[in-house]
Amino acid sequence: MATLTFENVTKRFGKVVAVNDFSLTVEESEFLVLLGPSGCGKTTAMRMVAGLEEVTLGNIYIDKDDITDLPPRKRNVSMVFQNYAVWPHMTVYENIAYPLRLKKMPKDEMDSKVKDVAKMVKIDNLLERYPSQLSGGQQQRVAVARAIVVEPKIFLMDEPLSNLDAKLRVSMRTELKAIHAQTGATTVFVTHDQSEAMSMADRIVVMKDGEVIQVGSPDDVYDRSASIFVADFIGTPPTNFLNVEIRRENGVVNLVNPHFRFTIEDEIFTHVQNYHKDRLILGVRPENIIIVDEQDALFSSECLVSEPQGSHQVVAVELDKSFVKIVAPAQPKIGPGETVHLNFKHETLRFFDPDTEMSIDLPVDDE
Amino acid sequence: MNRRTTKFLSKSGRMTIFYIFIVGILFVILTPVFFLVSLSFLSTREAYQYPLPILPELVTKFKLEGGEKGYLVSVYDRLEGEYQTVQDTDDLNKLSVYFKSQLSVYMSEEEIAERIAEFEQTGEPVYFTGRKNLIHNYNTFFKITRDAGPAFLRSIQIALMTIAISLTIGGMAGYSFARYIFRGRNALKFSVLFVRMFPGVAIAIPMVIILVNLGFYDKPFGLALVYSVGAIALTIWITASIFLGIPVSLEEAAQVFGASKGRAFMRITLPLALPGLAAAAMYAFLGAWTETVSAIILTQFNPTFSVVVYQSLLGSVGQVNLAAAGGIVFALPAVFFTFLIRRYIRQMWGGITV
Repeated sequence: MATLTFENVTKRFGKVVAVNDFSLTVEESEFLVLLGPSGCGKTTAMRMVAGLEEVTLGNIYIDKDDITDLPPRKRNVSMVFQNYAVWPHMTVYENIAYPLRLKKMPKDEMDSKVKDVAKMVKIDNLLERYPSQLSGGQQQRVAVARAIVVEPKIFLMDEPLSNLDAKLRVSMRTELKAIHAQTGATTVFVTHDQSEAMSMADRIVVMKDGEVIQVGSPDDVYDRSASIFVADFIGTPPTNFLNVEIRRENGVVNLVNPHFRFTIEDEIFTHVQNYHKDRLILGVRPENIIIVDEQDALFSSECLVSEPQGSHQVVAVELDKSFVKIVAPAQPKIGPGETVHLNFKHETLRFFDPDTEMSIDLPVDDE
Repeated sequence: MNRRTTKFLSKSGRMTIFYIFIVGILFVILTPVFFLVSLSFLSTREAYQYPLPILPELVTKFKLEGGEKGYLVSVYDRLEGEYQTVQDTDDLNKLSVYFKSQLSVYMSEEEIAERIAEFEQTGEPVYFTGRKNLIHNYNTFFKITRDAGPAFLRSIQIALMTIAISLTIGGMAGYSFARYIFRGRNALKFSVLFVRMFPGVAIAIPMVIILVNLGFYDKPFGLALVYSVGAIALTIWITASIFLGIPVSLEEAAQVFGASKGRAFMRITLPLALPGLAAAAMYAFLGAWTETVSAIILTQFNPTFSVVVYQSLLGSVGQVNLAAAGGIVFALPAVFFTFLIRRYIRQMWGGITV
């Protein structure tokens, strides 16, 4: 168990900045997820921890030890690769044992460790097989077994589930979490799949273009997204964004849109008291738009598409020439062409600056 | 005819044509090989018959009777179906030599004398048989061709050196082409093919001059160098594509799990690249083993085996059956090596699917 610290880490490939001034501490036994679209630098950040990429500027520490310039083999980290990277010319047993053999572990000890770990990831019946005789999910397990058998200080996982089929991916999430709970290894997990990040992470680091946009618990990044990018990237369907005008009239604040106009209560709007532009972007999650009776409606619109999901339905209406998606209860069914009356859950509304695209209502921690 | 019958007929028709085609191809491929093998076992007399026998005679039938100058020896001719007189002499040594050199039958003077005694006793023609020595041509080839044995060893030496040089240099180059992006990479990759565009004859004079200056003219190492130029190019192309097919992450994983860069390469990438290296080795071997033109130009007193076989086709030793024997000896190592490597490649392919 160890902590991992990035200190102003920058990585450039020629002129391209892959990771810019990245500072972060991963706590002991934490499950940290680096989340972002492809090319955001999350994998590069992880590969620098493994020693597979050189650090251009800054330092990386495991506990108090500066590992920035150590070769990969001296870092005591292990990694699960996206394409599994199990060695095709070795049996499953040899794949798991090879890292121990490199550490010159005595044969008996090695044998029992390999078998223990194999049992833990449920491949103890496959030890004599070659990877080509295994399914993708089984190869994945071999990769995980290999990574945990060395009892690393830091456990790195580079999109380990992205090559699995959808159902297996979801069940492997649970297993990986269980393994993490069992081993307690400090883990850095890279993914572009926000639902994977939400379901697995202790903390999520949302990255874009080499920059950290937000660090926080899954609830933080979901409910208190730091920017339009985060609010849009996290959640399916993503947050709906609406342009509104701020009108301060008779001491109350009204938010006005061609389709609706409402007064926002002061206590919700306190965070934007100091915001002096006259426009903002309203962010509202699909489940925070509620279908109401006509008299309670803020606005009404015609349903364009509805997608039943079993447990709920996703209804799309048009507003301001763009889709607004609503997550509604599964019943009653809403069909295309039907008029729906809608209102917001006011306390969940997020406000973003249209110029910087950053949130203007983040609760300030030190208050 | 109902539809099912039509379908069946059209299918069997297609299959028939397919097999006729396959057999045709096999025929075209195997006929020259068969011809060469058969020719290498023919006695000199058979080899110069017209039409040429398809298969060598294993046992030669003789008839011995009285002749004008001594004894009349006739040989049964399969084609004509009758005995043909080949010698009329009383010189036993001459007969024995004739049997050996023209008929590949090893019969001592004493044995011939016994037959003559038999004839003298009865006065009737004596019929007897002589077993043909099938490897006579092979023996003769090595006996009468200057330097065939040493040349054979020399050729093997050259081929192995070519493999060593081209796999070392070409393999490393192939690895860097596959793994690293560097300035001039594509130009270099093309230039690698460029060297193969020049036929040996076209650049013979500069080659000789350079090798003389290096002190490698007429030396096996000099030829190995020349062959390596072409072999390296091919090795680079083969190994680069093989290395490209081996994910970098396999090597990276080994590094993360405690191997040094060199060790990760030796333990992970190299074993996986072996089929490609084997294929490259095969091409290098075949190229070096069969090359003749440059070898003629670049050697003087130390010819390669290909040069020796080539020379056996010319001048006083020019006997087709001997040349065929030389050709077979020449072909065998190539066939052997190819099969050796082929089996190995297949073994490797069984184990990996990357």
